[in-house]
Amino acid sequence: MKGLLRLYPRSWRERYGREMEVLLEQMPGELGVGLDLVVGAAAAYAVVIRGNRILSAAGAYMHGVCVAVLLQAIAFVTFILYAQGSAASPAVAELGPIRFAVFTRPHLFGGLGALGSAAWTRTAAIEWLLGAAVLAMLIAALALVLASPRLLKSLR
Amino acid sequence: MRRQSAAVSLVLLALLAIVIAQASLVALLFVFSLVLKLRLGIEIGGGAMLMGSQLGYGQPQVTLFNAATVASAVFTGGCGAVAAARRFNRWRPDR
Repeated sequence: MKGLLRLYPRSWRERYGREMEVLLEQMPGELGVGLDLVVGAAAAYAVVIRGNRILSAAGAYMHGVCVAVLLQAIAFVTFILYAQGSAASPAVAELGPIRFAVFTRPHLFGGLGALGSAAWTRTAAIEWLLGAAVLAMLIAALALVLASPRLLKSLR
Repeated sequence: MRRQSAAVSLVLLALLAIVIAQASLVALLFVFSLVLKLRLGIEIGGGAMLMGSQLGYGQPQVTLFNAATVASAVFTGGCGAVAAARRFNRWRPDR
């Protein structure tokens, strides 16, 4: 358990390390204590990063990049959902003359009549539900990433 | 000289962060295309890569063009730069 103290910033270890080691010797080596130490290390790093202007800006840069990746993944899944529900084939995402993406559907059931058409509709509905679940998961992840600086601040 | 090398390091690290972010975005899109049973095509420069089952002829296909690849990299870098500039300007030491 004491090995987890290595996760903490050096300045923190120099100041509180010895005290914490003594405290850990008296505590049972449970999973909860280990988890507390890991969360505490993240909070200690957040304090060190916030205390330095350059590190703080670098942290914000990484946070912005993570938000951008999640927003783009959300845009991708939203486009798929829109294209699956749209009658237009192929569905195109474009801005003026610039084409960003195209979604093309196969025409396998064209000659199979009503039975093939019903099977295709059922498959499309299942895939739409799957897409909606993925979208909900991505939005939850984005909310968590956006709230993470405040959450870390509240751990202090 | 020290200032210049620090600035170059900063730019290189920012570019590295964008490259890693783009790679993780491609991985995410690949996983989503597997889950949603799609074939995913990504155009990069003159080439293109197609991900998904080669046997999945009946699967729908999504193709991302060069414009999307470039816009994605610019958007990722832009979001990071705006967030960093905002924090740099508004930074105050903790009391």
